Amino acid sequence: MASTSSVILKDICKSYGAVEVIKRVTLSIDPGEFCVFVGPSGCGKSTLLRLISGLEETTSGVIEIGGKDVTDAEPSARGIAMVFQSYALYPHLSVRDNIGFGLSLAKLPKAQIKAKVEAAADALQLTALLDRKPKALSGGQRQRVAIGRAIVRDPKVFLFDEPLSNLDAALRAQMRIELSDLHRKLGATMIYVTHDQVEAMTMADKIVVLNGGRIEQVGSPMELYNAPVSPFVAGFIGSPKMNLYSGLAAGEACGTYGIRPEHLRLTDDTPRWTGRVRHVERLGADTVIYLDVPQLGEMVVRADGDTNPPIGAMQGVSPQQGREFRFA
Amino acid sequence: MSLRRTAATRRNTGLLALAVATVVFILPFLFIFLTAVKTKQEAALLLFTWPEQWQLWQNLVDVVKTRNYMLLLAYFNSTVITAGAVALLVIFGAMVGYVLQRRPSGWNRLIYACVLIGLMVPPAVVPTIWVLQGLNLFKTIHGMILIQVAYGLAFSVLLYRGFISTIPRDLDEAAVIDGAKPWQVFFKVILPLLKPVTVTLVVVQSIAIFNDFTNPLYYLPGKDNVTVQLTLFNFQSQFQSQFNLLFMNILLVTIPPLLVFVFFNRQIVAGMTAGAVKG
Repeated sequence: MASTSSVILKDICKSYGAVEVIKRVTLSIDPGEFCVFVGPSGCGKSTLLRLISGLEETTSGVIEIGGKDVTDAEPSARGIAMVFQSYALYPHLSVRDNIGFGLSLAKLPKAQIKAKVEAAADALQLTALLDRKPKALSGGQRQRVAIGRAIVRDPKVFLFDEPLSNLDAALRAQMRIELSDLHRKLGATMIYVTHDQVEAMTMADKIVVLNGGRIEQVGSPMELYNAPVSPFVAGFIGSPKMNLYSGLAAGEACGTYGIRPEHLRLTDDTPRWTGRVRHVERLGADTVIYLDVPQLGEMVVRADGDTNPPIGAMQGVSPQQGREFRFA
Repeated sequence: MSLRRTAATRRNTGLLALAVATVVFILPFLFIFLTAVKTKQEAALLLFTWPEQWQLWQNLVDVVKTRNYMLLLAYFNSTVITAGAVALLVIFGAMVGYVLQRRPSGWNRLIYACVLIGLMVPPAVVPTIWVLQGLNLFKTIHGMILIQVAYGLAFSVLLYRGFISTIPRDLDEAAVIDGAKPWQVFFKVILPLLKPVTVTLVVVQSIAIFNDFTNPLYYLPGKDNVTVQLTLFNFQSQFQSQFNLLFMNILLVTIPPLLVFVFFNRQIVAGMTAGAVKG
């Protein structure tokens, strides 16, 4: 299962009538890379994935998978497999037939289909469930069946469209790890769409931040965290969100000034700003403090778990040296 | 006290409902059965009485043998027409409904308007016969099948289209990515999922077509083309009617739809409510 390919997008545009959804996107994804498209709803990330899958046709531009121009190829001829947000399991077929559906369409010999399905089921711990119908499975199991259906096709590129958004928080964390394991094991190129920056940060080799149909920034998770090129990326990556203020209000000679909550420290010794404590969230390991700073508005500070300032008190904060961002 | 009264009220309303149901559904059937086993003279009185003399077997043999086993031919013809028409209705209804729902195009409004017209405009008999004659389909079984398909298609398209809109499009797309051609998406993924509607449609349409009296009367004249409902004419005439045989014939004609209904009853109810609640 070591077949793996690069994906190259050149000047991709997509319009629905007069509405331009994707605007000249150019991107190169290396073989074996785990690439995450991230952005707010309506930014075009799912559309971009559907363009790569061939479910939507590009208005202009070129898509290459494994060095081959597939811009006008059928989805099945592109060597891709896709996992949908809704899992899209065929309700009338058993788990076995769901996983083997593509193989039986390709008219593979029955014995070979059986072997492949069982190998995939084994890798995903689905062996005991092979003869069940999807409706008799839990969310996490359905998810694994959907992944199994992708694996047996032995694709060059895996496409994931928000696959974890229907799962509860605990299961999502577990599936994140399973998907990362799977990626290491298969070594295949994976493209993953999500609006959840935690999924992007934890799983990606490369994050593509999209905004309004354009690529805002491409880079590794830590590159985006440490060197965001725009306030949009800065605000999107990291949790809690970066505090962003107009430069004028912050007393800086720049358009937008930003400082992450974790890079602010509470101090009473000549603080840069002073604000009134409005709300405190104690998470155990951390405490998130919401301050009302007169000249800036709300400021979020992430402090040690033991910190517990009384609500209504005045609190001074200063930014850590070298952690401030100044955007044009 | 109030609990006991509620229970009593409940029992009484239940009994009342049963009584009404008995009068409406069981009594006519009982009347048919009792008349069907009477002798000719006794049946001619058309009274709701217990038969003095039971002639069940004799009447049955008489009905079947009448006019050189015409009833058996009628069963054959009706079955061919029903099976053929229902099969075409299911396939075409599902296909048209699928394309209408899934592939938006400029033609959709026009097609949809045609479907609604098919539902609303009453069919005209004489022009239809002209068309059938022009196509050499008049007085043929396959012509009759096409007539039944034409009459039922609008309804089945609407039924299928509504149900297909509850099937997530993701399934189509997953199948496309799995390498399915458009016809494979339809036959391997969509059509199996339409089973609840298909069962409902099969039952409703097959009973309607099997029991159809007027359309075979207009479009399928001829001794060899007789359908079951038309065999009822064998025992009615201006001067003499054999009511015992007529009712025996009715009884025999009623049995197949009754069996279909008893057999598919649960699926029909499932089909009526299918899509109402996501499973």
